[in-house]
Amino acid sequence: MYAYIVRRLLQLIPTFFGATLLAFLVIQLAPGDFVTRLELDPTQDRESIANLRQQLGLDQPLPVQYAKWLSGILQGYLGLSLSYKTDVWNVIGPRILNSMVLVVLATLMIYLIAIPIGVYSAIYKYTWQDRLFTVLAFFGLAVPNFFFGLIMLFLAVWLYDLTDMRLLPIGGMTNEFLHLGNMTRAAQWFFPPALLGSLVFAALFWRRTRQKLAPTFGQWVGLVLFGVSALLLLFPLWQGPGLPERLPYTDAPLWARITNVLWHAFPVVIVVGTSGLAGLMRVMRGQMLDVLSQDYIRTARAKGLSERVVIYKHALRNAVIPFIAGIGGLLPGLIGGAGLVEVTMAWPGITPALLEAISAIDLYVIMGLITITTILLMIGNVISDLLLAWVDPRIRYS
Amino acid sequence: MRKLLVLGMLALAGVALAQPKVFKGTEPGRAGGAYRVTAISDPRTWNPFVARETSSTDIISLFLPTLTGYSPYTQAPEGNLAKSWEVRNNGLTVIFQLREGARWSDGRPITADDVVFSATVHADARVNSNARSSFILDGQPIRWTKVDQFRVRADFPKPYAPALIQGWYIVPEHIFGPAYRAGVQQLQALWNLDTPPAQIVSGGPFKLDSYVKGERVVLVRNPNYWGVDERGSPVAYLERYTVQIVPDLNAQLARFLAGDADVFAAANADQVAQVLERIRAGRLRAEIFPNADVTLGTNFIVFNWNHKDPFKENLFRQVKFRRAMAHLMDKKSMIEVALGGLGQPQWSPISIPNKAFFTDEVAKYEFNPQRAAQLLAELGFRSKNRDGWLVNAQGRVLEFNLVTNQGNNVRERIAQIFRDEARKIGVKVEYRPIDFNELVRQLTSPAADGTREFDAILIGLTGGIEPAFSRNVWELNGPLHMWNLGVGGKNPAKVEAFEVLIDSLMKRGATTLDQAQRRQIYVQFQKVVAENLPIIYTVAPAYNPARLTRLGGMFSKEQVNAITGQAPYIETVFAKE
Repeated sequence: MYAYIVRRLLQLIPTFFGATLLAFLVIQLAPGDFVTRLELDPTQDRESIANLRQQLGLDQPLPVQYAKWLSGILQGYLGLSLSYKTDVWNVIGPRILNSMVLVVLATLMIYLIAIPIGVYSAIYKYTWQDRLFTVLAFFGLAVPNFFFGLIMLFLAVWLYDLTDMRLLPIGGMTNEFLHLGNMTRAAQWFFPPALLGSLVFAALFWRRTRQKLAPTFGQWVGLVLFGVSALLLLFPLWQGPGLPERLPYTDAPLWARITNVLWHAFPVVIVVGTSGLAGLMRVMRGQMLDVLSQDYIRTARAKGLSERVVIYKHALRNAVIPFIAGIGGLLPGLIGGAGLVEVTMAWPGITPALLEAISAIDLYVIMGLITITTILLMIGNVISDLLLAWVDPRIRYS
Repeated sequence: MRKLLVLGMLALAGVALAQPKVFKGTEPGRAGGAYRVTAISDPRTWNPFVARETSSTDIISLFLPTLTGYSPYTQAPEGNLAKSWEVRNNGLTVIFQLREGARWSDGRPITADDVVFSATVHADARVNSNARSSFILDGQPIRWTKVDQFRVRADFPKPYAPALIQGWYIVPEHIFGPAYRAGVQQLQALWNLDTPPAQIVSGGPFKLDSYVKGERVVLVRNPNYWGVDERGSPVAYLERYTVQIVPDLNAQLARFLAGDADVFAAANADQVAQVLERIRAGRLRAEIFPNADVTLGTNFIVFNWNHKDPFKENLFRQVKFRRAMAHLMDKKSMIEVALGGLGQPQWSPISIPNKAFFTDEVAKYEFNPQRAAQLLAELGFRSKNRDGWLVNAQGRVLEFNLVTNQGNNVRERIAQIFRDEARKIGVKVEYRPIDFNELVRQLTSPAADGTREFDAILIGLTGGIEPAFSRNVWELNGPLHMWNLGVGGKNPAKVEAFEVLIDSLMKRGATTLDQAQRRQIYVQFQKVVAENLPIIYTVAPAYNPARLTRLGGMFSKEQVNAITGQAPYIETVFAKE
């Protein structure tokens, strides 16, 4: 097993060089460079354009440029952004973190919703509920994200007209000013139901454990959701009354900033989540149907096991194997951003930065992002393979 | 001891007679309030020597001063940090008098040292500032020297018409000086986006307060600013200036519709309709002025006079051919279809909003396919072949490729309309959108023998007020003399008589100081270009500004223009509520 891991890690080295060299060549083979767009500026003369090219090292032969970049990478330096004149990591680092908020939340939402729905659809296949989910799934797959994002924006404006309250944000990740007063009043409204909800679910949870039974999925979700909300609401209840009505974002307390970011993330996560949800739901349904038709399921039922045990212990555990193996594949996705919806909904994620870098041919920003993605992709693949061996006893690496 | 010296200087500065600039607003204002705009992308730097794009300079211009600029009312030169000036030596020397008592936000006085230092750095070839071309005139440097603490002197190698427009940013010498002396790299590393905003010193109406990457830049009023209003109260009135970064135009519209942004420029008729509808529904207290003006940028078709194919080269050099092509431009449809009904036809090189130089009295080869067919017949394209394309006596088909940059919807539609009209009379135009960089390469990089490969390109240039700043396009050896491009900064191998005339007009225009004479020169320039069509202009998109009614100190409907915008000065804009 260890020999296998070492071998896999060694294989990463040539893959890394191959992938980055290819990426470098593809970017450089495209016409033009960072300086090209200045050539159509009537106020620029030939001399300053040539000067700039020389200053940025863009006039050197390709192998030299690649070698310079590579020597930086080996020392952990991603290079200098041509447009920002600063370390590439300073440009993409904060953007990646912003994107991660969306990606992590959307991934959680996808898995938490898609797997139960997939299982449900498989067990009750061809009922009207199953058909409804199928229709919704295809709808989610068919509507492009950026378009859905625009619809969300106009929905937010429409809701604002309708209620005269900012129920949904109109793009962005934070507000310039946080209305702490509103937050505190909202917390005072929402805290009692949240507390009540957590108590009810805690009671259900406790009764179930008393009966020596595992708590159901629904009880878990309910307890976590209500419990976390009640805990979060404690902060504004405790600190809120002592704070001014309105503060600039940068001066506001941490809980207010987190709430503000989560509120902005909500519609974006819905948009990003729906499309991923649709696909995963269908895959889960297919997997489940596949497993349910296996002989060992018939055997389990013939033994007289309860339907619950058959489905959750025998069928589901086998059906989720591909998903567990896919976890490694999520790793590069974490920094890859949420796609064009970040542009339409003005989320300061990595996608807008990458698009800007590509249109300006900010070579090292593009290369930096490709490098990080490549490394994470390779590590993710190794993790996936190891996880697969761990959950599926039929697979052994020796 | 040094501290004492600084304190002493500060006291002296306080005693010295302050000479603030009086900003004449459109109405009496009051202090306080916030102003919120949207921007399409993040700034790249706060360092004016590094900045190359408007996303950076739009913000830098709020906190760094310039010597002079254009008056928003008359478009004549107006002093900013320079209180006055004196032209000597038949225009070869200009002495600028600075405002005594002007201070940086850190309390230090703004003096001739700052100005001369900034000029030196902008002019340094190693720094390669975007403003470097303002310091070179026909290859010779413009020299800046200090006369005394509050006077600087500029010496020009020859008389220069825009000598009074000095729009480069002045930086505090006490911050940039040590870095510059340590090396260009250190200078360029200063004031990047990771520099704490508190360290960025301001000499303009606002100073940097905070920056959240990808979200917003917040500037606050600079209490040390050297400006007052007509009643003598300090400006800027606004307490806060926020730039929200919204990379999508529809999302920008949504922000304005929700009242989260104070100003907006509608890009097309659809956006205008959405704003109007919301105002009528009583949901938005705003006003919009559709078609108030046209934008400064131009869109045009240029043919390649350095073609590999002698037949095409010869064809494109025929003025009759270019006039025929102009007759094929259905500008009315272009405005209707490509611009959504909001825009104006353009006939000559100076942008329509540039009232000081623009003339409408030029030759106009209006949409007229019969006339186009007649002109082409005079060039020998009399009959059509089996496929319906015009051919000459040797059987050569009249055909060319037209390209424009991918993703620019307006240009793509203009190109399609032109192609469709040309095909109707038998001119075989193949239209294809290509990548912008590839287009620039084809346009600006001739092969060693001086030939270029494209047939025709539809492209645009940004415009400005000062025609002399477009010399790179119109002078024979200019790097953007794009229809007939010379190799390596030399004149093109074969030039037409009218090009020589344009060249001499541009040179005269740049060195004539009398404003009335200059206008005469540029009127003639426009006539020559419109007559000979080295560049065939299409249509100019409309400027459709909108703003919330909570703002005061803004231009009226009649005054709004594409050059200055919606308000004469940001200093005198204020919030009514």
